Amino acid sequence: MSAAIETHRLSKRFGSTEAVRDLTFMVPEGSIFALLGPNGSGKTTTIKTLMNILEPSAGQARVLGTDSRRLGPREFARIGYISENQELPEWMTVRELVAYCRPMYPGWDDAFASQLQRQFDLPPDRALKRLSRGMKLKAALLSSLAYRPRLLVLDEPFSGLDAVVREEFVRGILEMSERQGWTLFVSSHDIDEVERLADHVGVVSEGRLQMVQPLAALQARVRRIEATVDPGFGRPASLPASWMGFEVAGARARFVETDYRTETSEALARQVLGVSGVVSVEPLSLREIFLALAPTYRLPT
Amino acid sequence: MLPFTVVLKSGLPVYEQVLYAAKKAALTGQLRAGDPFPSVRTLCQELRINPNAAHKVVTALIDEGLLEVRSGIGTVVAQAPAATREQRRQLLEADVERLVVEARTMGLEVDDVLHAVRAHWQRLGRTRR
Repeated sequence: MSAAIETHRLSKRFGSTEAVRDLTFMVPEGSIFALLGPNGSGKTTTIKTLMNILEPSAGQARVLGTDSRRLGPREFARIGYISENQELPEWMTVRELVAYCRPMYPGWDDAFASQLQRQFDLPPDRALKRLSRGMKLKAALLSSLAYRPRLLVLDEPFSGLDAVVREEFVRGILEMSERQGWTLFVSSHDIDEVERLADHVGVVSEGRLQMVQPLAALQARVRRIEATVDPGFGRPASLPASWMGFEVAGARARFVETDYRTETSEALARQVLGVSGVVSVEPLSLREIFLALAPTYRLPT
Repeated sequence: MLPFTVVLKSGLPVYEQVLYAAKKAALTGQLRAGDPFPSVRTLCQELRINPNAAHKVVTALIDEGLLEVRSGIGTVVAQAPAATREQRRQLLEADVERLVVEARTMGLEVDDVLHAVRAHWQRLGRTRR
């Protein structure tokens, strides 16, 4: 499997502050990779480093096979990037923006650009400065999709969008789905939106990568288990290392098994708790998984 | 709009949920033979899901003979052999599991559940006739 993005111990410091430290991860070509974490955790710094806006202090990143420090116009003709506070030439109309971007990209697709403009309901003759935030973002997306990039990088695209615009925006992105080997790298603190969309997730907190996994593997590995325990049940002195958030209330014990296996996990629970019955085994949402894996981790809201 | 019903839940792989919904629709006749089946693009846009997951769903349905590819048209629902009793029973698995979990939570025995199911079954049977 070849990588659209690959980093090795990528670090960036500003003076004495380490914004990101030792990030090592791989974004497979053709995947949708979500980088999740609270504000200030280093997501934007990571992306700016990947996009050669910042130079790494240590370590390195390769983007579409090129060292991030050597990304230039030739590479950016195959990369779409929308930053957190995307600046657009505000005085231009939507039509002028399209005309302005078009010559920069050999792969510009006029038919696709018009289709997106209709789909996004963008008034061609309205100045960008007179558009709402959602509309501006859609204009930015149009100008980043119309040349059908191999890699699309979006920094916090969903923040501040109402549900309707967010849906339109996601549908616009998914117009790219017919293209084989197309990769999306998206940073977000919107876990619920990302849960359906991503197939790989990475979590950053305080500049460090806490975890990086294919989403399906993560979903398969984590279960909430509830069991009935005998009256007067005492908490065992030691619990399996893969059990998180163990609690007992009345006759009910509950915990999150982070290494769930169909064949053995329930038997293990019976053995450790010395009990009767496992009452339920439930999958967890991505949001709940984060809470379980990192109880101290400040969950993005 | 999709020709079958999917209500996505958190926590389960999207691929499994959509595949299950599509199979259920095909086996119960909600999808009829010859009906066009949504493209990967439509599936992922309508549900806002990962395109790779949508692609896997379509491939799996073709592999299982529930969809067939017609050149120029796309994928259509195949003339499925009438679902076997076993296939239809399998569709109930998730609901049965939920029922059993609930019953155990309430401290009921399997006979209590069977009794309740039988009683309900007969009640429905009477009203239908």
